[in-house]
Amino acid sequence: MKSLYKLITMILLVVSVSSTAQEYKFGKVSKEELLESSYELDSSANAAILYENKKVSILYNTSTGFQLITEVFKRVKLYNKDGFDYASEEMLLYKSGGNNETISGLKGATYNISDDKIIKTKLKKEGIFKSEFSENYNQQKFTMPAIQEGSVIEYKYKIISPFLSTIDRIYLQREIPIKKLEVKVASPEYFNYKKFSTGYIPINLKESKYNDKITFNNKSRSGSGFTKTNSSFSQSVVEFVVNLDKISTVNVPAFVEEPYSGNVENYISSLSYELSFVKFPDEPIDYRSTTWEDVVKTIYQNSNFGAELKKTKYYKEDIDQLITGVSDSKKKVSLIYSFVKNKMNWNKNRSVITNKGVRKAYKEETGNTAEINLMLTSMLTYANIEANPVVVSTSDRLVSLFPTLNGFNYVISRVKLEDGSIYYLDATDKYGIPNILPNRVVRGTGRVIAKDKTSQMVSFRPAKPSVNRYSIQCSIDDQGIAKGRLNANYRDYLAHNFRVRNAGKDDAAKAKRFESRYGISELDEYSIKGVKEYGKGVTERFSFIVEDQIEAIEDEIFFSPLLFLRDKENVFKSDDRKYPIDFGYGFSNRYMVNIKIPEGYEVVECPKTSAFKLPDNMGKFSFRSNVTNGVIQVVVDETITASMIPANYYPAIKEFYNQVIQKENEQVVLKKI
Amino acid sequence: MRKKIQLVLVAVFVCVSAKVKAQDDLSLQAILIDSVLTENANAIVRSENVVISINSVNSVVVKTKRVVTVLNKYGDRHADSYEPYDPETKIKKVQAIVYNSLGKEIKKYRKKDFSDRSMYDGFSLIGDNRYIYFEHTPVDYPYTMVYESEVETKSSAFIQPWFPITNYNLSVEKSSYQIINPQKIPLRTKERTFGNYPVEIIKGDQEISYKLSKVSALRKEYKSPSFTELVPRGKVTLGSFSLVNVEGSANDWKSMGKWQYQNLVSGRDELPESVIKKVSVLVADAKSNKEKAKRIYEYVQNKTRYISVQLGIGGWMPMMAEDVDRLGYGDCKGLTNYTKALLETQNIPAYYTIVYGDSDKRDIDADFASMQGNHVILNIPDEEEDIWLECTSQTAPFNFIGDFTDDRNVLVVKPEGGEIKRTKKYSPEENTLHTTATIYLQADASIVADLVSVSKGLQYDWRYLTKLKPVKDQKLHYKEYWDYINSLNILSLELEDDKDNIKYQEKIKVNATNYATKAGSRLLVTPNFFNRTKSKMPKYKNRKTPLVISRGYIDTDEYIINIPPGYSVNKLPEGKVLETVFGTYACNLEKIDESKLKFTRELRINDGRYSKEKYEEYRQFMSKIRNADKSKIALKKQ
Repeated sequence: MKSLYKLITMILLVVSVSSTAQEYKFGKVSKEELLESSYELDSSANAAILYENKKVSILYNTSTGFQLITEVFKRVKLYNKDGFDYASEEMLLYKSGGNNETISGLKGATYNISDDKIIKTKLKKEGIFKSEFSENYNQQKFTMPAIQEGSVIEYKYKIISPFLSTIDRIYLQREIPIKKLEVKVASPEYFNYKKFSTGYIPINLKESKYNDKITFNNKSRSGSGFTKTNSSFSQSVVEFVVNLDKISTVNVPAFVEEPYSGNVENYISSLSYELSFVKFPDEPIDYRSTTWEDVVKTIYQNSNFGAELKKTKYYKEDIDQLITGVSDSKKKVSLIYSFVKNKMNWNKNRSVITNKGVRKAYKEETGNTAEINLMLTSMLTYANIEANPVVVSTSDRLVSLFPTLNGFNYVISRVKLEDGSIYYLDATDKYGIPNILPNRVVRGTGRVIAKDKTSQMVSFRPAKPSVNRYSIQCSIDDQGIAKGRLNANYRDYLAHNFRVRNAGKDDAAKAKRFESRYGISELDEYSIKGVKEYGKGVTERFSFIVEDQIEAIEDEIFFSPLLFLRDKENVFKSDDRKYPIDFGYGFSNRYMVNIKIPEGYEVVECPKTSAFKLPDNMGKFSFRSNVTNGVIQVVVDETITASMIPANYYPAIKEFYNQVIQKENEQVVLKKI
Repeated sequence: MRKKIQLVLVAVFVCVSAKVKAQDDLSLQAILIDSVLTENANAIVRSENVVISINSVNSVVVKTKRVVTVLNKYGDRHADSYEPYDPETKIKKVQAIVYNSLGKEIKKYRKKDFSDRSMYDGFSLIGDNRYIYFEHTPVDYPYTMVYESEVETKSSAFIQPWFPITNYNLSVEKSSYQIINPQKIPLRTKERTFGNYPVEIIKGDQEISYKLSKVSALRKEYKSPSFTELVPRGKVTLGSFSLVNVEGSANDWKSMGKWQYQNLVSGRDELPESVIKKVSVLVADAKSNKEKAKRIYEYVQNKTRYISVQLGIGGWMPMMAEDVDRLGYGDCKGLTNYTKALLETQNIPAYYTIVYGDSDKRDIDADFASMQGNHVILNIPDEEEDIWLECTSQTAPFNFIGDFTDDRNVLVVKPEGGEIKRTKKYSPEENTLHTTATIYLQADASIVADLVSVSKGLQYDWRYLTKLKPVKDQKLHYKEYWDYINSLNILSLELEDDKDNIKYQEKIKVNATNYATKAGSRLLVTPNFFNRTKSKMPKYKNRKTPLVISRGYIDTDEYIINIPPGYSVNKLPEGKVLETVFGTYACNLEKIDESKLKFTRELRINDGRYSKEKYEEYRQFMSKIRNADKSKIALKKQ
């Protein structure tokens, strides 16, 4: 920081080289653009960005020092009314510790065509709105005037930021198509940024360098002591290299969100920069983050992380008492984990670092993720268990692909026992158990960080699919009414899922789920076991009467042997897909149904035993049937082993479910003897 | 189950009661609550005490003390943690104290602990409403929060009503409300839905107070009246009042409407000469006022878009017509006023109309004049019947308000005063969906079908927006709509929105590889291909609220089914006819020739309000329809 100031006081002037695009000049909207009635390459587009130019540069300002300047120029075509949303734009401006981002030079106009004449309506003050969004953000919005179907709008503005450590993510794709996009990122050699990209569209990034110089006025003094002091002014020049990244691309298709995508933030095309180190001439390198060791070091050095792990006094007495006489490591882990889970209440804030601190959090029994899980890690270490924090980027965040601090927003704990077994623990989740993590974590990514500054990427996804087991014992009569009992058992992640959704409900509400889901006419004798026995499965049982599953036509009776358990609807309806299907964890639905047929009827048709698979062992289906002594028995197994299925397997999984539904819908035919 | 909890709680109480200090208020303990209050409840209002002092028309002070015991996480939102304000309102005092189940204080929030935020609704471009709040993380349940606030507002046009039960699953132990009016400013009151509740009313000279105790929690029921109709509400309004520094007085809708016209609407309708000229040309050859109005409405739809702006009196006053003209946007007030101004240039009288916009119908209270409503539409009196215009929609047909503002009392603001009118009601005969289809069933269980659906009235409203989606989403919409047909493909789509006649036509060609089910030599087929009642209504052992069917409709279907060669039906099932007060249902299958069947279906649902006892009958009616709709026939191979 000091060195930065030094340089700042020396440099008085900065000359930036700016260039403007040739084909797209601000204010030069063509008649062709105004007359265009739909986007050539995608007729479903309600609007399109005709041109977007984004220029990010680090420039010097005499009074404030180096600044991050982001210049935006956009020209947008609104084809129809559904595209009018793109006539407004909002910007969040970060503020922290007396520094804040500002916006300047906002100009805009709407262009319409009438009687072959271009009519321009300027954006005025009345269309610009400023407000305080939150403690850390101001908001500015504007909406363009005189919008019609076919309008072209244009605007430009500049955001000036004193925060150099991250450049806002640069989107290379939007929800509407982009006709031409130009991006330039220029940084002086003193600032070294790491970059990474996301998305499925190839990015053509050109790196180059050019020389730049800063001319500054230097005031020097001669003479000392009793001699007359002379001040003289001289000009000197600092020369440096600027690293320039350029992207120029045309016809970027619209980003379309698809169901079961997991986190779409990971699929839209974009480019991100993070400051890795700062190096001024004749100064040592100031690393911000560069290798994982550095990241780990920085995290541990943060007083809201490393120091918090070391504090033991506040819980010492309680933990001593808790584990006194316990020598088994596994038992100790379980005791401490349950203790923290039960005592602490998560305030829903996600963070890698503590806010009010572990001591205060412990006293108040509430805290953020760091307070709760660093406390847990510290207690485990105190009890001589090998425990380390795991920093996590949760499922709604961009995956952190390269060494960076900003990628993480959450922390959990990892334990390694003497026998080599590993447990991930998150004490913010009241329904959690070791290795069963909340959805926000299991679908995210993590990095375990050790005190010796080593770190390692880890995946939380379970290797084994979680299992649901349903069994039905029932009999049907000649009127097509089925009476029987159902037993449903959920394990592992599926038990966790059940608890998250239903544990807070009373039994009547729990039972009601089945009535609506399965169309049960009468549901009775409902009971449930295991909701509070974390680590074990949950079992629900009830008796039922179902009137609408069986069809009696003349002297024949028809029904699907799985009755109401069968899959009826394929969730995959789109014709194609670009992004992976993310299930979070593998799962298996197993059904066993025994149906006693009515007296005086015989089975004339019964669906045959069969089985099929998804490629690469990603999933399998089997159906076995058997008829003995007037009882039909069907055993079905639907298993998806892979927690994530790549997009190129989409046709396969769609067809897989089509086949499943078709097979499960095959009918048993009974005939009156 | 509940008994068990009570036992446990009592046991806990016995063990720890010795620890409760004398100064701890026993009512803050959450362990001795009557089961009348805990049943179905997520939270209990232990006591609420609202005192409103009307110091003058420019100063109203509201003091609130609210004690809420929260029983589970679903009840957290009833523990007050925020207080809204605006430039007219000053929060003089606010604090909250949280107690655990034994009545021990565990946390105190003072005003400085509250964060200040803009009331960002994610929708308005800008607004100056703000709120302060704090985030409390419950450590354990039950807990009790004592919330106290004192707020002064300069606007007296709204007096906070008494609304003791604010939600489902919330019970009330004690609630009181008192108006103190030392200046004796004349006030009027109106008590709604007091009948079913033991409310104690004390009326003084221009003052009033209400009290209520021991009300158990309500549970939401399917097809019940809207919540506001089920719970008591005491409304108070002043004869003279102030709204953002504009003073007024009114005792009936006529004078209230007049005040609103003079202070909020009038003089905001000027338009530049060029615009008037343009509009005159636009309507020059129109034959009737209605035709002129239609052209002007469509002109506005093309020219403007809807944007929400909530600033100062701007929250009540429309933007100037000329500003809307120039900028091409406005909110409901601005767009309605603009349309009104354009119509008036052609000497077509049109009136600014205040309404509660919601698909749950809600009336402007006809016999209680006060500031009401949340939306504005336009009324044009015409020879035969009133014309109603929804000016915020760029897609709605002329004179079509749909289910957002239909069939309810509204306030028409005329220069001479306000008038309560009722908006258009769409009868079942108007809300029709007629579908014809030709289906080719193949021996491999697949089908190919052509169908044409025509919808009118509210059924038009419920369907026409699909046309505005991209083709990919349109296809997905039909796949969801007919989700019971596995492997459905949409081969072609022709959607036609005839806005002049308010008629929507869907011409669709589909196929599905496994529509029928093979069972040995039989093909099982559901002859109702395209219009099945899918949802299942819940059953209640002890229903508490009347049955409300808010809108009626008629569906008619006619399908020609071509069966594959070599197959035939032995015996056709008998037709079904159901007749009830709620509506009628009939379906029938007949043979046209050896290879053709004809399926017909007619469903009529009547709108209406029925006693709670009737609900079960209605449920059974719908359940029978559901079963009839999915019943199958067996085709046999010869």
